[in-house]
Amino acid sequence: MAERDSAVHTPLPPLSYSNKQKSHKSSSARKSGPLTPEPLPSRGQVTKRLFFAGEEGGGKEGEKEKAAEDDLKTPLYESPPKKPKSHPSTDNENEEKSSGPKSKRVLDFASTTKSVRRSSRLQKPDEVEAPTSPLHNEPVKSSIRISAKKTTKKQPKSATITPARHKPSKKSHQRARRLKCVAQKTEHADRIKNKVTKKACKGFSKVVFDGVEFRVGDCVYVRRQDSSSDSDEADCEECQICSKVGKGIMVECDECLGGFHLSCLKPPLKQVPQDKWLCPYCERNEGNTIQRRRRRKTKKTAREKLLNSQLWAARIDRLWKEPGGSYRFTGRWFIIPEETTIGRQPHNLKRELFQTNHFDDNEMESILRHCYVKGPKEFEKCTEGDDVFLCEYEYDINWHAFKRLADADVDEESNRSLDSENDWNSSEDSGEDDFEDEEEDFQEKPVKAKSTAKTPCSQKSSLSVKAVNTYRGCIIGLEKIGTKKIPDRARCRRQTDLDRAKATLMLAASPGSLPCRNKEIDEITGFVMGALAAGSQCLGRCLYIHGVPGTGKTATVLTVMKKLRAKVDAKVIQPYRFVEINGLKLAQPENLYKVLYEALTGHRVSWKKALQFLNQRFSETKQTSKNDCQPCILLIDELDLLVTRNQSVLYNIFDWPTRAHSQLIVIGIANTMDLPEKLLPRIASRMGMQRLCFGPYSYQQLQEIISSRLNGIEAFEKQAVEFVSRKVAAVSGDARRALELCRRAAELAEFRVQQCSISLKTASNELNVSGGGTLKNLVGMADIEAAIHEMFQAPHIQQWFMRTLKQEHQRQHLKSLQPLFHSYAQIMESNALIGTHFFPLVVGLVLVGFYFVNQVLAIVCRNYN
Amino acid sequence: MDHYLDGASIEDAVTLFRRRLCDSSSLDLLLPNASENYSKLRYLLSNTVTNTCNNSVLLLGPRGCGKSMVLERVMKELQHQHSDMISIVRLNGLLHSDDRCALKEIAKQLCLEHHLTFSKTASFDENSQFMIAMLRECALAHKAVIFVLDEFDLFAQGKQRVLYNLLDTMQSVLSQAAVVGISCRLDADQLLEKRVRSRFSHRKLLFSPPSTEDLQRLLEQALILPTDSTFPHVEYAARFNARLTDIIENKSFKDILSNVVNVDLSVRRLLDFLFRAVCDLDRDSGLLSLRNFRTAVSSIQRQPKLETLRDASVLELYLLVSMKRLESKDCDSYNFNAIMKEYMDLHNAHPTCDLYSRQICLRAFEHLLERQLIAFIDKRGQNIALEFRPVKLLVASHELNEGLKTSPVCPGP
Repeated sequence: MAERDSAVHTPLPPLSYSNKQKSHKSSSARKSGPLTPEPLPSRGQVTKRLFFAGEEGGGKEGEKEKAAEDDLKTPLYESPPKKPKSHPSTDNENEEKSSGPKSKRVLDFASTTKSVRRSSRLQKPDEVEAPTSPLHNEPVKSSIRISAKKTTKKQPKSATITPARHKPSKKSHQRARRLKCVAQKTEHADRIKNKVTKKACKGFSKVVFDGVEFRVGDCVYVRRQDSSSDSDEADCEECQICSKVGKGIMVECDECLGGFHLSCLKPPLKQVPQDKWLCPYCERNEGNTIQRRRRRKTKKTAREKLLNSQLWAARIDRLWKEPGGSYRFTGRWFIIPEETTIGRQPHNLKRELFQTNHFDDNEMESILRHCYVKGPKEFEKCTEGDDVFLCEYEYDINWHAFKRLADADVDEESNRSLDSENDWNSSEDSGEDDFEDEEEDFQEKPVKAKSTAKTPCSQKSSLSVKAVNTYRGCIIGLEKIGTKKIPDRARCRRQTDLDRAKATLMLAASPGSLPCRNKEIDEITGFVMGALAAGSQCLGRCLYIHGVPGTGKTATVLTVMKKLRAKVDAKVIQPYRFVEINGLKLAQPENLYKVLYEALTGHRVSWKKALQFLNQRFSETKQTSKNDCQPCILLIDELDLLVTRNQSVLYNIFDWPTRAHSQLIVIGIANTMDLPEKLLPRIASRMGMQRLCFGPYSYQQLQEIISSRLNGIEAFEKQAVEFVSRKVAAVSGDARRALELCRRAAELAEFRVQQCSISLKTASNELNVSGGGTLKNLVGMADIEAAIHEMFQAPHIQQWFMRTLKQEHQRQHLKSLQPLFHSYAQIMESNALIGTHFFPLVVGLVLVGFYFVNQVLAIVCRNYN
Repeated sequence: MDHYLDGASIEDAVTLFRRRLCDSSSLDLLLPNASENYSKLRYLLSNTVTNTCNNSVLLLGPRGCGKSMVLERVMKELQHQHSDMISIVRLNGLLHSDDRCALKEIAKQLCLEHHLTFSKTASFDENSQFMIAMLRECALAHKAVIFVLDEFDLFAQGKQRVLYNLLDTMQSVLSQAAVVGISCRLDADQLLEKRVRSRFSHRKLLFSPPSTEDLQRLLEQALILPTDSTFPHVEYAARFNARLTDIIENKSFKDILSNVVNVDLSVRRLLDFLFRAVCDLDRDSGLLSLRNFRTAVSSIQRQPKLETLRDASVLELYLLVSMKRLESKDCDSYNFNAIMKEYMDLHNAHPTCDLYSRQICLRAFEHLLERQLIAFIDKRGQNIALEFRPVKLLVASHELNEGLKTSPVCPGP
């Protein structure tokens, strides 16, 4: 049956999905038929049908009708071959096969946690080699036995948690099990009900179920109702050649995911290969893997079942207990590539899953056990275990579009603030309802992993005619954007060192750490910690940070905030709010009030109102609610843009911290050193107390920054890096400029290498100069020089130069690159370029003079202090 | 009529020319460093699309040397290559140099591109938030957004909020965008404020104006008939080409060409000139002649003042000349009375038969005002009599000279 199932499912990708949907509907209706109070749907039509099904008692005929209806309404799905889900014979089968589901479940879990199979993507062979090899299966078996025994004993114990109604008879249990996989799409009504009761019985962060702990955020296998029972599940993967389990390390084929003993292969492998490996079958391109499988066995691992869509995977978003006593969870489904409309694309990995925006409530009973769905980076690292899957994209089931999941470390920031806020709120004011309507509250909860825009509810509102560029708490309606197809280039990795160097040198690439700013980081941390520690006594805490562009002012503050956030999470310091405002991103300075007020309370009002409220809030001696007593750190970037004619905005910002109980800490960032002095004295006296200067980077610092980015990549000559840093440090000390220069130089070097290789191929004898030593893949001084010339020379000189070069070029009929450089030198020397030769020299002398004077001044100042 | 000539071959040739001259795509890359810049720009932008490299680049060069053409070509090719993965937002400094307006336009175009509903009433903040959110979502979906800022120098006015916002979002990990600025100011990047300049990635592509040789090459490319199988009338083509090379070598043709080029270097202008020449093609001989080019020049460079002068009467010319004489006497402001006096002086010095009465002169003066060869100096004094209002001459002295030379009624010297 399993064979047939897979055969049916693979060729028709969308089919299984619709099947899934339908099974959800029909059976959930059967289950909660009379209970479903009102059709408040996540998607309108679906629930209506569901409701009907409930009325008709889930009869087969009715179901078929509905299926037809479905197919009419959603033409994207092909009509599925209906399975007689409610047929008694299947029930019986299931019953027979799954005689002891609970103990079995534990057994499965035990086996998978312990057995270290093999690894194909294994990067470090030493990890697997020694300890696990021949022995690892034996203890597993024993442990299975033991755990099986244990759980039979434990049965009553776990039953204290499991709902009582699963106990009485096998039959009822079976029914419960069938129901469990049912997606309850009706559940809007249900959900709201749950939400209402949530105050009384809260969602849990973890539930121990059958002796296994499930947490919110865990990924699990979910049983599928129409598939055969799980008794035929294999404990462990067996070797494809010798059909035995255990006995040595196995390697996984990247194509068919079959396991092979290293020793069974011909010729035997000594180590697990580092990169992609194909098994002999796949290498010979023997397509009929089915045949091979049939030869093997009938049992399948959970992973195989999942990939054959006999199981489902979901991520637990919420755990809670129903008033009836049964434990339920809200799961966000994962789907396999075959289930998307586009089907499996050639560059999809075998272990790839897609996260959907589809949520369902199910009973805990339907969970089989844990699986592990990882992001690309973690997946790369995680080399063992069969239940590991890769999830890089989110699949929108309404628009059939893919979207990359945001990197965790980027997304973290916003999510965590949301989370902690929620926690803080819920722990502080459990009785108070700070949201107007409950639906909104509900939306907040399950979507932690993503922005709120992706719940089915908001989708519904996006279908209405509301504009997307108006802001209502969040921007909604953007889920339409998404590729219909993942481009295969997203999969290909960067090949050469130069490519990787270019990628890390981009401004957009986030550096892991900020080198050369330790002193400043310490100072800012000290300032913020001091202000936070002072609590409600903190008065007039303002920090003014100044420095030329590109010296890492904003980045440093954000790093500090990240670190502090980690401390908040570790409960070292009290939680606080962090509000970041950029002066140049405001339409007018007064809008700052609006933004600040919205960040603090979540309400949008006009700036005059906001100013009034903020004044009230900060001047009030007694806080109205406890929530407000969180200290607030306000970061204002580009502070000089907020200067108005009467400077009231700046005055207010720097006046609030001086009020008692305001708990406001302001960090201002601007370029000019003497901004406080330019302002009115009353503002200067308030903001100018504490200042921090970010000096331009010196050449050593720039060198360190660049080399820390290029850590482990062999792409730049050491002198070249030094040359760049010295050049940039002499002009501005702007790190951005240095990085851009390096990137451009890398591009030039790449181009040069390409040219050289081409010319070497075509006429190796013609160019003997570039054939020898210059054909290096390293970025050298010449590249840097060219990049500087290209990027930072005045255009008219460049233009003149180009024209001259071209004329020269035409005159001499030179074709290749090398003579071009010669003529470059010739022109530079012969033509009347003496002025431009002298010019840098003069500028350099002047700069040296300035530098010297500066140094002297600095020394004098230090001595004076 | 020669034996090789028939109506069909000439008709074919003219059609071919018209097609070439109207759709200049085959000729544009002949411009100096157009092909080089094309490959550079394509490299940059395709890097953005495929490798998520956020770049900002400026295309600099005088007007009419192919900046937009190169950009359009690159875009077309990229859109063809990666269909559905690129959205282009076009802004023009002349239209959207205001921050609010620019952001609204960005939001509008993004909405249009992705079939979203756009609201006109959204504020600056909302639009900028929308833009950031949109860029993020697009990056997550592997879609690149390319911002094209035409007349880039006009965006560099005021606080430069738009540029700051655009370039600042390019710094974030979750964005896949490129900013392409087009400007005819070579120092456009120096106009940027320092914090904006620091975020700008300093890629510049220079377009140099075409030299006379370039234009001549382009002209040959446009007008030479193919002698291979694509054009059936081989004999005619050979003769035509021989004649054309003769014309091009001609000294006076070079004068004509430089006359065209001195006014405006752009390719569009040159093609317009050629189009007019081809339209004048002699249908009997089927060959171009120097006369065709001459008429084309004169039809391009029309001089309305000269034409009006040609129609002026003798008296009017006298009046103009006396005004000119007054001006040469450093008399800044004059009215009809002064002119009349000068006219009488002129007559006393060189008596001719063209002496008219004051009334008639006044009529002629009014006529000149009507034809706008002269005008009142200011709007003041509406109620003063016509004779007393100060006037000024709108014809330059060399134009007046030309006009007098060509005028049929002007008495000979």
